[in-house]
Amino acid sequence: MALLPSIYFVDLCGAMLAFEHYEQGEDMAVESLGIARKTWQTIASIKTGVVLLILVVILAAAGTIVLQRPVTDPDEMQAAYSPHVLRILDAVGLTDVFHFWWFLGLLLLVSACIIAASVERFPNSWRYFSRPYKYPDESFRRASHPQKSIPIADEESGLVAAQRALHAMGFKPERIVREDHFGIFAERHRISELAVYIVHASLLLIFFGTIVDGFWGWRGTLNLNEGQTSNLVELRDGSTRKLPFAIRCDSAGQDNYKDGTPKKWWSKLAVVQEGRDVKNKEIVVNDPLLYKGVRFYQSSYGQNGKVDKLSLVAVPSNGSGAKQEIGLAVNDTVALDSDTTIRFAEFIPDYAVRDGQVYRKSNELENPAAHLVVTSKSAGKNEDKDKDKDKDKDKDYDVWLPAINGVADNSKSPYLLQATDLKMGHFTGLQVSHEPGQWGVWGGVVLMGIGLAFVFYVIHMRFWVVPVCDPKTGQYSLWLGGSANRNRDAFEQRFNELVTTVEAELKDIPKTSRQEQVTSIAGH
Amino acid sequence: MAPAKAEQQQPASGMTLIVTVGLAIAFLLFMAFLNVVKNGNLLNESNLLFAALIFYSGAGALYLGFGVTGTESYVKAASIATWLGLAGNTAAVTHRWYEAGHPPFASVYEMLLSFVWTLAVLTLVAEKKYHVKVIGTVTMPVAIVGVVLMQLLRTDVHPLVPALQSTWLHVHVTLAMLAYAACALSFALAMMFLIQDNMKTETFLTFTSASTLAIYASVVLTRFEKWGGLSLAAWNPENKAEVFISKGVRLFVTIPDLGWVMVLALLAVAAPLVFCGVARCKNNNDSFLVLANRAVFLSILIQVMALVMFLLRARDGRYPSLDADGLFPTSLAASPFILSALVGAIFISLLYLLLLWRRKDLETLLPSAVELDRITYKTICLAFPLLTLMIAAGAYWANQTWGSYWSWDPKETWAAITWLVYAGYLHMRITRGWRGRRAAYFAILGFAVVMFTFFGVTYLLPGLHAYA
Repeated sequence: MALLPSIYFVDLCGAMLAFEHYEQGEDMAVESLGIARKTWQTIASIKTGVVLLILVVILAAAGTIVLQRPVTDPDEMQAAYSPHVLRILDAVGLTDVFHFWWFLGLLLLVSACIIAASVERFPNSWRYFSRPYKYPDESFRRASHPQKSIPIADEESGLVAAQRALHAMGFKPERIVREDHFGIFAERHRISELAVYIVHASLLLIFFGTIVDGFWGWRGTLNLNEGQTSNLVELRDGSTRKLPFAIRCDSAGQDNYKDGTPKKWWSKLAVVQEGRDVKNKEIVVNDPLLYKGVRFYQSSYGQNGKVDKLSLVAVPSNGSGAKQEIGLAVNDTVALDSDTTIRFAEFIPDYAVRDGQVYRKSNELENPAAHLVVTSKSAGKNEDKDKDKDKDKDKDYDVWLPAINGVADNSKSPYLLQATDLKMGHFTGLQVSHEPGQWGVWGGVVLMGIGLAFVFYVIHMRFWVVPVCDPKTGQYSLWLGGSANRNRDAFEQRFNELVTTVEAELKDIPKTSRQEQVTSIAGH
Repeated sequence: MAPAKAEQQQPASGMTLIVTVGLAIAFLLFMAFLNVVKNGNLLNESNLLFAALIFYSGAGALYLGFGVTGTESYVKAASIATWLGLAGNTAAVTHRWYEAGHPPFASVYEMLLSFVWTLAVLTLVAEKKYHVKVIGTVTMPVAIVGVVLMQLLRTDVHPLVPALQSTWLHVHVTLAMLAYAACALSFALAMMFLIQDNMKTETFLTFTSASTLAIYASVVLTRFEKWGGLSLAAWNPENKAEVFISKGVRLFVTIPDLGWVMVLALLAVAAPLVFCGVARCKNNNDSFLVLANRAVFLSILIQVMALVMFLLRARDGRYPSLDADGLFPTSLAASPFILSALVGAIFISLLYLLLLWRRKDLETLLPSAVELDRITYKTICLAFPLLTLMIAAGAYWANQTWGSYWSWDPKETWAAITWLVYAGYLHMRITRGWRGRRAAYFAILGFAVVMFTFFGVTYLLPGLHAYA
C-alpha cells in the first residue's frame, strides 16, 4: 500500500489540524484511564464505527437475499427452504432481519458510537471554532502550506498592503497585536468546522424518528365497501385497532387509460366523529388523507364480490300479462303481482356444482350465479289440490340464473326471469399508518442536506500575514500563509491571487504609506 | 501477439481511420435513409436512435483508434461524431418525452435512453472541460451497447401506473441517475489513478480476469442445465413479453449445447488468472506472464465466438423446456442481461489489451496521480450528497405511496448500503487520511456496490421497486 508521500503529508499538516487534534487526544487519554474510560474510547473510536457499519452492511445484505417473513407467504418460505434450514434461519432471525432484536441492537450501537465519537471530538472542534488560531508561531509558519515571503521596505507598509489586498478579496482582515509581535488574520466560513456535527446530529435525529415509530407507530389495512363506515383497522400482526373516529367511504373507483391499464384509483372518504362529518377528501395514490396523525392511503380497489344491483326482466310464463323490469339487491323482496313475490336470496360470484349442490368456488367474479326465490300463493292452490290443509301455504320456486340443471326449477316458476345487468359493489383498500416519528425523520433529512452542503461546499479559509525581520541581514519580509479545510487546490489559486494583489499593492504604497498609517489609526 | 506488432509497424497515419469511419457512417446513413424513404416515416424514435447508434459507433471506433495509436486528430473527428450522435439521441429523448407525456424514466428502456444520453454528455464535458480525452474509449462502447440493448427491449409507450404518477418520481430518478453517473466517474478516475500510480500491469490483469471470470461463472452457475444446455427465459413474440407459468415464475427454455460453449469461455477467461497466479508464485516469472497475456488474447477470441453462438442460437427459435411440454420461442429480448454481461466481459478484456499495449501513451495522456486522486475524491464529494438526496426523495415518495418512508425493500436496503460504503470512504479519507491506493480501492468497491444496486437488485432480488 503506497501512500502518496510528501504532498499528502503537507496536506495533512496544513488544514487537517482539527482532525489531528482528535487523534492526539485519543492517544494521550488512553494512558491514565480506567475501564469505563477505555470502553468509552473504544465506542468513540472510528475503528469500532467502521466494524459496526460493516456488520450492518452484511446483515442488511443478508436480509435482502434470504426471504423475509412478514412479506413472504409461509407456504413460499417452506417451498424455498428445507424445514431444517428454515428452523435455523428462524432461530437466528435471518428470516426477519430488519425487525429482529440484534439488528435493532446494532443500530442502537451505531447510534451510541456516533454520539460517543461526536462528544469525544466536539470539544476540540469547539475550541478550534471558538478560539481561532490568529497568530501563527514560528514552527507553524515553517510547516504551513501554502506560504510565501515577499520582501518589504518596512513592517507597516507591508501590513497595509496585505490589509488592502484582503479587503479587495472580500475578507475582513483583523490586526493582531501581541506584546512583542503583530500581524493580520482573516478568515471566512468558520462554521464549516462544525458542519460534520450537524450531519451526525441529523443522522441521530433520523434514527430517533424511526425508533419512535418502532415503538409508538403502527400500520394496518382497512377495507371499506362503498357506503360503509368503520373504525377498525387490521394491523400487520393480525390484531385489530380501534380508531377514536370512523372512516366512511362514499364512493370509490378506477379510471383507465385507453389501453385498459389502470390510470387512477380514487376514493371519496369522510372522517366521522361523534356522528358528524369532520373532514372530507378524495384520496388517490400518492395523495393520502391525514387526520389526527393517522394517514389513509389508497392501496387497492376492487370488487367486493357483492351485488349492488341485479336488473331483471320478468315475463309471466303463461303468456298473459306484460313484462316487468325490476332491480334487486341481495335479500330484497319485490312483488311481481298480487300473489307472487320475488326475493334475491343469494349471489355466488364463482360457482361450481357438485352432487346437486351449488358451491362457492372463490370470491372472484368468474362464474357468477344468482339465486332467486319466487314465492307464489296461487301456485300452491292449483298444484296441491288434495292437500287442503296446505292451501294457504306459499309455494317457493328456486330460480337460478343461469339455470343450473338439477338444482333450478326455472321452468316451473310462474315468471320467466332474465338477467339484463349486474352491477357489482366495490371496496376500496386503504393502508392506514400512524408514524409519529416521521417528523424527526424529515427534520433529520433536511438537516442532513444542510450539513452536507456545509461539509462539502462551505470551506473554512484562513489567511495569516506576519512581517518578519531576518536577524542576519536586517531585511524585512512579509510572510503570507493560508489554509482551507477542503478543496485545497482551488484554495491555492486564491492564495496566489492574494500574493499577486499584495505585490501590486506594495508597488503603490511606499510613497503614501505614512499618511495611510495616520488615517488608519485615526479611523480605528 | 500479432496485432500488437502490426499496430506498431503501421505508422499512425491520422487520416486513414477517420476517412474509413466517415465513409462507413455515410454508407450506413445512406442505407438507413433508403429504408426510411421506402417506409415514408422519417422522424420516429427508432430512426433517430439508429442514427445515434451509427454516430456513436463511429465515435467509438475513432476513440478506440485514439486510445490505441494516440493520434490527436482522431479525437476531434470523434467528438464531432459524438455531438451528432448526441443530437440524434436528444431528439429521441424529446420525442419519447412528448409521446409519453412524462420524462423518460418509467421503464428499463426509458432509463437506458436517458442513461446513454447522460453518458454522451459526460464524455463531451470530460473532454472539453477537463481534457480527459481518452474517456471516450471507455464510455462510447458502453453507449453503443446501451443503444443496441434498447433495440431489443420493448419500446411501446406505457402509461404510468398510479404509483408512478408523482413529481417525486422525476426528482428521485434524476437524482439517482446523477448520483450513479458520479459514482461511475469516480470509479473510472480511480482506475486511471491506479495506472498513474505505477500499479503493475499484471495486477490489472488479475482485476480484469477476475471480473470476466465472475461474469461467466454467474452465467454458468445460474443457467447451465444438464447436459450442456443453457436455460434462457421464454419470450412471447406477440405480446413482446416474457412468459409466466404462475405469478412471478418465468418459463425457461433450454438451448442444447450452448452451455458447453459458456463453460469453454469460462475456462478460457480463467486461464490468464491461473497463469498470473503461477507467475506470482514463481517470483514474477516472466515467461508465465507472457503466457498469461497470450491467454487473454485467446480468451477474447473464444468469448467473441461464444457471443456469436449465443446471438445465433438465442436470437429466435423454439426450444424445449424443463417445466412444460412442447417447444417454446425465445428471443434476445428475453435475456438482455446475459447479452450485456457477455458484451461487457469482452469489453473488459479489450480494455486490458489497451492498457497492455499502450500503457506509456496512456500515462502521458492522463493527468498526474495526485491530480487523479484528488478528482476522485471530489467526484465522490459530489456523488455522496446526491445519493443522500436520492434516498431522501425516495423515502418521501414512498411515504406518499406505500404508506411508509422505509420498508427495507431490497432496493432501499442496497441504496442504504451504497450510502454507507461511500460514507465509510469519506470517513477513512478525512479522519484517517486514506489516500492513494487504499482510497482508490474503496472507490472501486463503492462502484461495484452501485452496480449491484442498479442491476443486481432489479434482476435478482425483486421487491416493491418492480418498475425499474
